[in-house]
Amino acid sequence: MGILFSRMFSSLFGNKEARILVLGLDNAGKTTILYRLQMGEVVSTIPTIGFNVETVQYNNIKFQVWDLGGQTSIRPYWRCYFPNTQAIIYVVDSSDTDRLVIAKEEFHAILEEEELKGAVVLIFANKQDLPGALDDAAITEALELHKIKSRQWAIFKTSAIKGEGLFEGLDWLSNTLKSGGG
Amino acid sequence: MFSLFYGLWKYLFTKTEYHVLILGIDKAGKSTFLEKLKSIYLNTESLPPDRIVPTVGLNIGRIEVSNTKLVFWDLGGQPGLRSIWEKYYEEAHAVVFVIDAASPSRFEDSKSSLEKVLRNEDLQGAPLLILANKQDLAEAVSADELARYLDLKKLDERVYMFEAVSAYDGLGIKESVEWLVEVMERSKRTEMLRVRAGVTGPASA
Repeated sequence: MGILFSRMFSSLFGNKEARILVLGLDNAGKTTILYRLQMGEVVSTIPTIGFNVETVQYNNIKFQVWDLGGQTSIRPYWRCYFPNTQAIIYVVDSSDTDRLVIAKEEFHAILEEEELKGAVVLIFANKQDLPGALDDAAITEALELHKIKSRQWAIFKTSAIKGEGLFEGLDWLSNTLKSGGG
Repeated sequence: MFSLFYGLWKYLFTKTEYHVLILGIDKAGKSTFLEKLKSIYLNTESLPPDRIVPTVGLNIGRIEVSNTKLVFWDLGGQPGLRSIWEKYYEEAHAVVFVIDAASPSRFEDSKSSLEKVLRNEDLQGAPLLILANKQDLAEAVSADELARYLDLKKLDERVYMFEAVSAYDGLGIKESVEWLVEVMERSKRTEMLRVRAGVTGPASA
């Protein structure tokens, strides 16, 4: 009963909830992004084994953000978290040009997943503060984003360290989720 | 034998899904147009125009009009992002090209961008709808004036129309969609895409 009322309350006052997965290769900056969004600070991180989960309230949406560890050995476990996901934030280290091919392959493998069919996709071309970082157009090309034809996507240049681009991305996400999504 | 009949049955009764590309330079009003379209045909609340941010990727709108399914692809128009437009050409049944009719200083940019679109082989025969958008603004030029200004040479061989619209208040949007449905149903390009989908087999079924 309490749950019912709290649902009614949130639907009346526009407090939507959304489950977001933050994915990407190891060392892309997922955890730094998560805590930058949540606390507005840069925290020093260690490689995530397992996951971090935090709630971020933004634009009347309560984002439940799951940051999953990105190392090769634990990527197969990502799929345990796929059900009921409204959006994916895919984080790329834009300066790690050697591994863009792997980043692309992992990305398209995720998009094939049945349980993520309805999820919209936000790409963060992260680490723009580093020299040699590729811009959004180049990352779009490298990840072959044009192959996505049946869901909405957007790409943003970000620097988690400087806090740039992250909230622009969340703006897009909240607009897209509000106007019906994929 | 079964598959033959099945194919025929499918050919006759499956609703065709038409892909419409929404192109145009940045700030032309492509996403606002798409949002308005969605609110008119889906009866959902659309994003208020002031909340719409520049598109850096792909927005999608799916609507159904008189038994026809339309999928709209709205691509970002900033110069760096225009290179991905071509990747969507092959599968497009028609193109909507949006122009901000109230900002003459950017007509030249629109013209050259549109000419480039028209030159592309992958869009051969695709019907073209050019929207003179932002008619809600006093300084907007009419569809005729815009047509005169653009003076497009390569248009003769394809089905095209200029339409005055306002993505802000909805002027001309229904007319635009009705025109699109009508020309796509009859266009050779639709036939060509259908044949190609048939040839490539199960993947497209």
